[in-house]
Amino acid sequence: MRSNTGLVFALPALIVLFMLIAYPVFYTGWLSVTNDQGQYMGLQNFSAVLRPRVTTQALWNTLWWVAGSIFFQVLLGIAAAILLNQNFRGRALVRSIALIPWVIPGIVAATTWAWMFHTEFGIINYMLTSTGAIDEPVGWLTRSNTVMPAMIAINVWKLFPFVAIMVLAGLQSIPQELYEAARMDGATYWEEVRHVMLPQIRPVIAAVTLLLVIWALNAITIIYAITKGGPANRTVITPIQIFRLAFESVEFNQAAALSVMFFGVVMLIVLAYIRAFASQPGGNQ
Amino acid sequence: MKSLKLAGFLALSVLSSVTTTTIARAGDVVWWAPNWGEERARTLAQKFMAANPGTNIKVEVTVANGLPERVLTALRSGATPDIIEVQHGWVNGYAQSDLIVPLDDTIQDKQDYVKAAIDYISWNGKLWAIPYRVETHGVIYNKDHFREAGLDPEKPPKTWDELIAAAKTLTKNGRSGFGITGGGEVGNTIFRSLPFIWMNGGDIISPDMKKAVLNSPEAVKAVEFYTNFYKQGLAPKSTLENDGLALRRLFIAGTVSAYQSGQFDLPAIQKENPNIKLGAMMIPAPAGKQTAAVLGGWSYIIPKSAKNPTDAKKFLQFLNTTENQGYYTDTFPARISATKLPRFDDPMLKPFAEMLPYGRPVPVHKNWVKIVQAYFDGIQRILLGDQSVQTSMDEANEEIQALLN
Amino acid sequence: MRSSHALRQPGLNRPAIILGCFVLLVVCLFPFLWMGLSSIKMLNELYTIPPRWWPDHPTLANYHKVLFESRIPRYFLNSIIISVGSTGLALILAVFAANGFARFRFRGQSFWQACILIGQLLPTAAIIVPLFITLRVLGLVNTYWGLILVYMIITLPLSVWMLTSYFKAIPIELEEAAIIDGASRLGILFRITLPLSMPGIVAVLVYAFITTWNEFIFALCFATDSRVKTLPIGLAEFSTEFNTDWGAVMAASMVMTIPIALLFLVFQKHFVGGLTAGATKG
Repeated sequence: MRSNTGLVFALPALIVLFMLIAYPVFYTGWLSVTNDQGQYMGLQNFSAVLRPRVTTQALWNTLWWVAGSIFFQVLLGIAAAILLNQNFRGRALVRSIALIPWVIPGIVAATTWAWMFHTEFGIINYMLTSTGAIDEPVGWLTRSNTVMPAMIAINVWKLFPFVAIMVLAGLQSIPQELYEAARMDGATYWEEVRHVMLPQIRPVIAAVTLLLVIWALNAITIIYAITKGGPANRTVITPIQIFRLAFESVEFNQAAALSVMFFGVVMLIVLAYIRAFASQPGGNQ
Repeated sequence: MKSLKLAGFLALSVLSSVTTTTIARAGDVVWWAPNWGEERARTLAQKFMAANPGTNIKVEVTVANGLPERVLTALRSGATPDIIEVQHGWVNGYAQSDLIVPLDDTIQDKQDYVKAAIDYISWNGKLWAIPYRVETHGVIYNKDHFREAGLDPEKPPKTWDELIAAAKTLTKNGRSGFGITGGGEVGNTIFRSLPFIWMNGGDIISPDMKKAVLNSPEAVKAVEFYTNFYKQGLAPKSTLENDGLALRRLFIAGTVSAYQSGQFDLPAIQKENPNIKLGAMMIPAPAGKQTAAVLGGWSYIIPKSAKNPTDAKKFLQFLNTTENQGYYTDTFPARISATKLPRFDDPMLKPFAEMLPYGRPVPVHKNWVKIVQAYFDGIQRILLGDQSVQTSMDEANEEIQALLN
Repeated sequence: MRSSHALRQPGLNRPAIILGCFVLLVVCLFPFLWMGLSSIKMLNELYTIPPRWWPDHPTLANYHKVLFESRIPRYFLNSIIISVGSTGLALILAVFAANGFARFRFRGQSFWQACILIGQLLPTAAIIVPLFITLRVLGLVNTYWGLILVYMIITLPLSVWMLTSYFKAIPIELEEAAIIDGASRLGILFRITLPLSMPGIVAVLVYAFITTWNEFIFALCFATDSRVKTLPIGLAEFSTEFNTDWGAVMAASMVMTIPIALLFLVFQKHFVGGLTAGATKG
């Protein structure tokens, strides 16, 4: 129904957010086109920040980071949700334990994993070498071809419970009749999964995936705490570059320029998502 | 240590400055002191308040992580305490941006201070801070390892060649003869590798700060010396993920025989592994040349927008008497007379005291942070095996030159 | 077509469940176990080569320090107040907003939905200065409300986003039936939509609580007085210039993490679907 009732419902949230976000948005925009004396500089900050080699490197790394993280977070999250949707004794306990990676403070998770991955102090290498699985300890965080995968693995571990819980909530809302109808047709369990569960949770997965993209693009805790973007910029992603510009080099204007560009790209992705997945009101086909 | 440095908490505790100054009244002196010296700070504050009943010293504790950004933001926002403790290297930036007041009228017995420290915080003919703590690196080593390798622990290496030879002899049975850092905080590696460049007659940028000289033969040879410890297997395999703290832990665990660090590591090592027989030596130099080190340490500054500079200056004079400086510092005091205090008589501290005169300040260019980042990336490229020393330094030099224009 | 009395037992078979749970538990608990073991080790047993699982001299000294000699208990209280406050506020606003987006069509709907997400798209480094200035102007610096309000930026967008998709999953026929019976929009929201989307509500609650519980940057900048500081800051206070008390940090982390998992355990009974057989009939 076309009226403005919907807008009225959404208004309180929109107002609160607007009050908090409007000024920062304008402030960042203004900073990106001025220098530190406050004089208008046009697009100079933008070109200054695009010039160094590290900017392109960061963009490529960011792509790997986002794609790798999301793929596994969603895959493992859905698998865990399906498992936790089953009826078995001790289910509540397993669900609570599954929450733990997400609950552990980011910085502690990062440093614990760095400790476990350490070439010499790390328990991972210790277990692999003492059982004879490998001969020499692996330099997980010191080799260019393993350091980014290690970071992605930590990110996946940290956030797949989020996906699991969100998808589980969606699974819990599936009406029994749909299952019964499928079973009357003689469906096996896996066919049930494909034809009943997955379609029902499609909106949830879409929403979750978008959020994961946004978080992967914004979360620097894990990488910054462990490698700071190294070695030799192998793990530097654009948000870390923004952070470095703002707080290590104290170049607030360039950091703002990079933020604006970043924001533009992500906004486009978001709008595309909304167009693609937000159909009519209501849910079931 | 810096492992807990989280992105963002650096930013803007302008908040703390607002709240502290709104609670302070006239006659109050608000002092931002770091948490590792909190007890001593409070003791000194008590002593001063007992002798000066009209003044109230409020100690506000700061943490290491994010401190430079927090201080800078406070200074820029105009909402500041009266006294802040900062590292020497930050002072010139504040002075040039007109954020702090000169302290020529506050310092007493200027000639008693370590000259390099005074130079560090002087600009435009004025003194912008009062240094109270100075330190440099030395080399800490495990005397038992030396003995087991057939080396004389009382006659540690003095030249680069002797150091390499000793490291080679020490590297066996899973031990690394000489550990270096290659990861973590950029500063950790600067403090360890830059002195070698200086010793060999090179530098990262020219004295007039207009030209990048990192790819000169002297500098390249020094960088090669440093990175060779890893490339020749004399430093741990984990070097690229190790900062100073990780190195110390490896030393405590007995897998590193010697490494560069400051005297602040000594108590920690003794606490975690009392069985190690500790030795300390001066940093070896190329044959026929003098050693060098990066001068570190802390100073007091008074912000321009401090509410009570008069009482703050009085308090600073109290804090910087020979006795009080000697009491408060974690490493060495900046006053030479204070180094004669009994607390510094420890024979373990002798090599560090001997290194002090060779301590040099780093250049105060406004892009210094980016410059050292480019240099550090270059070192990591060499350690990764991506580029040769010369190529890597050439590339870093190009980036640095762009930052000097 | 098979006859109806040959209906299969629903679900995975037992061995698959056991295997799946085992893998899940190992993956989730392995680092946590390492953390837990580290929290009962003395300083000299924390970093050994080769690493050891079980300490020779397990100790509770770290917990003693965290619980009795630090400011962690006070920070725990602060964290609870702030997390509950911001979670509650976000939930109320989000329920209304999600209802608007899920059940109606109005002009610029996509645009407004995208706007909700804006707060999440800006890097923290960019928004923290202006946010601080906003708080200072409102006089909310170093207060519970200051942090609760600022946390809206991180809890509200996702809550609205997720709740919208949960609301959409509820069959529209139920609401249409209620409208025919004369129910108001608000009535539908409270009597049909909310109860049926309970799992979604719980999920959003969990998300908002956990996010604010662990949030560090905003808390560090906007709460510098111990009376308002939160747990993550407490963690940072175990670090000094050249040292970190890892045993204490690990113990504090356990103190921070276990209560939340227990809380979720308690809330399990609400995490159940509201759509039972028969709800859509008639």
